[in-house]
Amino acid sequence: MTSPDSRPTFDPVSELSSSWFGTGLSPEAVSRLASIAELRDIAPETELTREGQITEDLAIVLTGRVALRTLVPERGMVTILTVEPGDIVGWSAMVPPHRATSTSIAIEPVRALMLNGDQLRKLLRGDHALAASFYPRVLQAVARRLTATRLQLLDLFAREEWSRREIEPW
Amino acid sequence: MVTEGRPSVAAGSSGSGVAAGADHRSAHAARRSDWFLSRANLGVLIDVLHEDGRTVIGPTVVDNAIVYDELQSVADLPVGLGDEQAPGHYRIVERGDQRAFGFTVGPISPKRWLFPSPLSVNVGSRDGRSVAFDRVPNDPPKLAFLGVRACELAAMGIHDRVLLGGPYTDEDYRARRENALVIAVNCTAAGATCFCTSMGTGPEARDGFDLALTELDDGFVVQVGSPAGADLVARLPVRAADTEQASSAAEAVARVAQEIGDPVPIAGLHDRLLAQFDSPEWARIAERCLSCANCTMVCPTCFCNTIIQQSALDGQTSTSERIWDSCFTAGFARVAGGNFRSRPRDRYRQWLTHKFATWVDQFDSFGCVGCGRCITWCPVGIDVRAELQAIAPPLAPRPEPTKPRPVAAAPGSYVTGRVMAVHQETVDVTTLTVGALDDPFLAGEPGQFAMVDLPSFPQLPISISRYGRDTVDFTIRAAGPATAALTGLGPGDELGLRGPLGAPWPIERAMVHDVVIVTGGIGLAPLRPLIDALLAQRDRFDAIRLYYGARTPGDQLYREELRGWAARGDMEVELTVDRADDTWTGPVGVVTHLFDRTTWEGSRSLAFVCGPERMMEATVDELYARGLAPDRIFVTLERHMQCGIGLCGHCQMGRLFVCRDGPVFALSDLGDIFGREGI
Repeated sequence: MTSPDSRPTFDPVSELSSSWFGTGLSPEAVSRLASIAELRDIAPETELTREGQITEDLAIVLTGRVALRTLVPERGMVTILTVEPGDIVGWSAMVPPHRATSTSIAIEPVRALMLNGDQLRKLLRGDHALAASFYPRVLQAVARRLTATRLQLLDLFAREEWSRREIEPW
Repeated sequence: MVTEGRPSVAAGSSGSGVAAGADHRSAHAARRSDWFLSRANLGVLIDVLHEDGRTVIGPTVVDNAIVYDELQSVADLPVGLGDEQAPGHYRIVERGDQRAFGFTVGPISPKRWLFPSPLSVNVGSRDGRSVAFDRVPNDPPKLAFLGVRACELAAMGIHDRVLLGGPYTDEDYRARRENALVIAVNCTAAGATCFCTSMGTGPEARDGFDLALTELDDGFVVQVGSPAGADLVARLPVRAADTEQASSAAEAVARVAQEIGDPVPIAGLHDRLLAQFDSPEWARIAERCLSCANCTMVCPTCFCNTIIQQSALDGQTSTSERIWDSCFTAGFARVAGGNFRSRPRDRYRQWLTHKFATWVDQFDSFGCVGCGRCITWCPVGIDVRAELQAIAPPLAPRPEPTKPRPVAAAPGSYVTGRVMAVHQETVDVTTLTVGALDDPFLAGEPGQFAMVDLPSFPQLPISISRYGRDTVDFTIRAAGPATAALTGLGPGDELGLRGPLGAPWPIERAMVHDVVIVTGGIGLAPLRPLIDALLAQRDRFDAIRLYYGARTPGDQLYREELRGWAARGDMEVELTVDRADDTWTGPVGVVTHLFDRTTWEGSRSLAFVCGPERMMEATVDELYARGLAPDRIFVTLERHMQCGIGLCGHCQMGRLFVCRDGPVFALSDLGDIFGREGI
């Protein structure tokens, strides 16, 4: 069954619950979140957040790829990590002062579920059971981002770093 | 006087088939017929040995110490001299009598002659594009050791197990050992640093000698330990020892045992020590330890060694020389990517846990005979007896020992191969396709490596990155002079090879399972033959997933093949980079990023992992989170592999030799040493 504009019917509940982010949530939580979710198709090169600016929406990426970039003087925008389907972009919408920690840009056509920050926070304030299910999942996503960033920081394949420290036997 | 119920380094397990007469060198058979040699006739013994064309190595005074050296006559013996020893202290003292063996042990042991340093191993030469390796013939001198103590006999027994116990053997050592006559002396004086009694090795010589002497005031009680010893006695002016002489001798030795006592209780020592990897004592000892390696140089059992190149000025010929090395030196555990034991505390821990724990796993005995040299000759007086007491309290369960896996190359012997093709993979990584190889070389398995040698350069362990019909590939990153020389070879150039060595990826275990391959950087090289093998029998495996991370898109190896594998449709290929360039629209991030949100079922999977150790740790954590058990996760480790066959000691990791027992290991075999700092 297709809708009049011949796009597949969008069912936010099933989209959300089959994503990595949604698999960690209770069915009740998924349907509450789905009630405020909006599906958005995002063209490549579109910015979802900008470093230092207020983040309006929390996005759950369903398909496509988003790059998290940060501006380095003389090097331009450097991609630190990419966000892959199932993961979230814009967690800063949940945490004061709601300013983005990196600039996120779609580098492929992206389909995402958008949760408006104001609405979401209001929803969570009024529903502690939902909050108790939602926040740990957000924290898990943020922690994974942190771990990934730390590993990136180690620059594990950089041989120059090693050879500076010691004289190599070969 | 073997104490029942505890392991003993000297307890007879000489399953190594050493010296010709070794099986007969048992004191017990000859015990009933002891002889007596008067003090005045000791010189006759030395003369008879000389008549047999033997060089006599015995105790004499050199540089204010009683050491082993060549003896011309009985006058060279340290008659009337004893020694005073304590941690970091050694003095010769006057005894006030005429005893020739009234001291304990000096800094030099028979190791200097049986396992000499330096020892020429081969001469390599290069003529145009050809290379040649000529073995240096070993022509061991005919020796007689005089005055060898029980602890030193035990040390020889240990070397027999290490160097001749197989699967590979040191033939130079064998020849020297077989050519040496051993005249032991039972200790009648105890040193303050001795602890042979605890290690079960002395003070009485029990086996492994041709003759054993016990010194009395007027002469020597002589025991025969072998047919060669019996022949020798037949030519000496001896008479049967009387009961009083025999009992005085036995009492003198028993007094020494009593005097030494039991300074190192060894019950459960293996387990106690291995439970103390994280003890704060290691750092405390390291505050004193100078990493000077004295303890290992004076040790009669330390066998770690290295091969150095003495190169001619024209660079065309070089002599490989084996010299003693030490786990205390800064370069001992260094690989191209860093140093696995950069801190003195790690080196001390390696040394102590090897001597008193992992040596037992490797060779069924302790690596210490209790001679006390490491205590006396430590410049800061670190006393291993006290440190063992301080470090190793309660018992912990003992890990299952890993069985050595078979390997397929003789030591010291090289085959040559010829470069057939060269392919530049990245800016600094090159793949050499090598042919003109012996058939056995081509029979290797994925995950194995070869020792690769160009004359004038150190030999390097290099993974085999493909088995062709009659070629093998080596993918090499130019990181130093040797690797630069290898990557600079062109078609037609020859190189020396040994191998294939080491344990392969256990492909058969992956049949009817999903296969997950996680790798980074040049770590894809040892996995490529695995992928080849999986795809060659594709229907025997379920899903195959390859996750590969590189620093930049330009650092990816085998780019054409990666595309080809992805295009097959029966294999998932996911790539990520740490640093994207303008052309890269794929994932950016560490390799675990490629599968930490996927939904495949880990319990149906086997994983094969290769990359920098820290990457493998992150990968393993993620694989655990996906439900893979440790016996289904295989990693390949990089250590300072030098000999490639478990005889040089460089690549030790706890009880394992990475070259011989690995480099591929199941995580369950590594236990808690995987990812541990300083191992």
